[in-house]
Amino acid sequence: MNIRPDLLPLLFAVAAASFFCRVGGFWFMRLIRVTPRVEAALKSTPLAVMIGIVAPVAMRGNVPELAALASIAAIMRWIRNDLVAALVGVSVVAMFRFVGF
Amino acid sequence: METTEPMRSSLPPATWAGFLRGFMQAQPLSIGVFVYGIAFGLLARQENLSLLESLAMSFVVYSGSAQLAAVSAMGQGGFVHLDAITSIAAAIILLNARYLLYGAALWPWMGGAPARITLPSLFYLGDGNWILSMRAHAHGERDVLYVLGSGVAAFLPWLLGTWAGSLAGGLLADPKALGVDFLLVGFCAAMGIAMMKARTDWTSAACALAAALAVDRFAPGGWTIVAAGLVGGIVTFARFRAS
Repeated sequence: MNIRPDLLPLLFAVAAASFFCRVGGFWFMRLIRVTPRVEAALKSTPLAVMIGIVAPVAMRGNVPELAALASIAAIMRWIRNDLVAALVGVSVVAMFRFVGF
Repeated sequence: METTEPMRSSLPPATWAGFLRGFMQAQPLSIGVFVYGIAFGLLARQENLSLLESLAMSFVVYSGSAQLAAVSAMGQGGFVHLDAITSIAAAIILLNARYLLYGAALWPWMGGAPARITLPSLFYLGDGNWILSMRAHAHGERDVLYVLGSGVAAFLPWLLGTWAGSLAGGLLADPKALGVDFLLVGFCAAMGIAMMKARTDWTSAACALAAALAVDRFAPGGWTIVAAGLVGGIVTFARFRAS
């Protein structure tokens, strides 16, 4: 239950790589003047990232995920609560997988 | 809540109340993170990492995809030689490239905050808490400790899950059967729908979609996120009209 000494170089390397990714983009913005145009671009990234996360899953076309996404869209139309929608989505996926899809 | 945009040069608010808001609002995400942590703990156990080694990996990397890739590579090719270490570190940078984008997007909000707040906030940054924070900011949240609070809320179950998975061995049959791998996707779908308004730049969103689907064909995983985020931002940048 110890950390092997010969694992330490790897741990330091992966720690540095991870921290670089987390801090690098933030640090880089120091060099850029945040004009309204830049700010608009940055503000558009969350929706674009969400599209990047959801689209490939939808594209695979598996029944459980598609049914879950449809129920999420329906719930967001009716009660507009993203927590309820996401949890219902998860249970729809679980149910469809349970019955063998 | 402030109604006016604070000056860039002034210090943004940083209170425990903001930390708590982030911490509480991120709780639903923590379920999914916990189960994902279990999955990593199980795999790390299979690749002969000790409990402490698994926890150390989860602590310093804190990224599911990157850790799974690193641990599989360790199982295949060892981890002592410099070229193995370099290739694993490079893989982590590539798999986590989206965090460069996440950090940049946080700059207008947190750029004025001191490093003792921004560095831990960035250290604990994850997909879910970043999206949650950006959404809160769009709805008027200005307290920078919101980011740290929501980050810590997801980080703790990540360590807890790693611990449980490493100890449990094969107890948990298949987390996929519970649908937890869908939790982040479900949240993104719901929040994305909530975010789409009349003011949405539909061209930017459509280009992000096209980029994600194109990249998904040959480099699935983190790269679809990088492509969609970059393309969405660039298109909005190009189409910007000062109002």
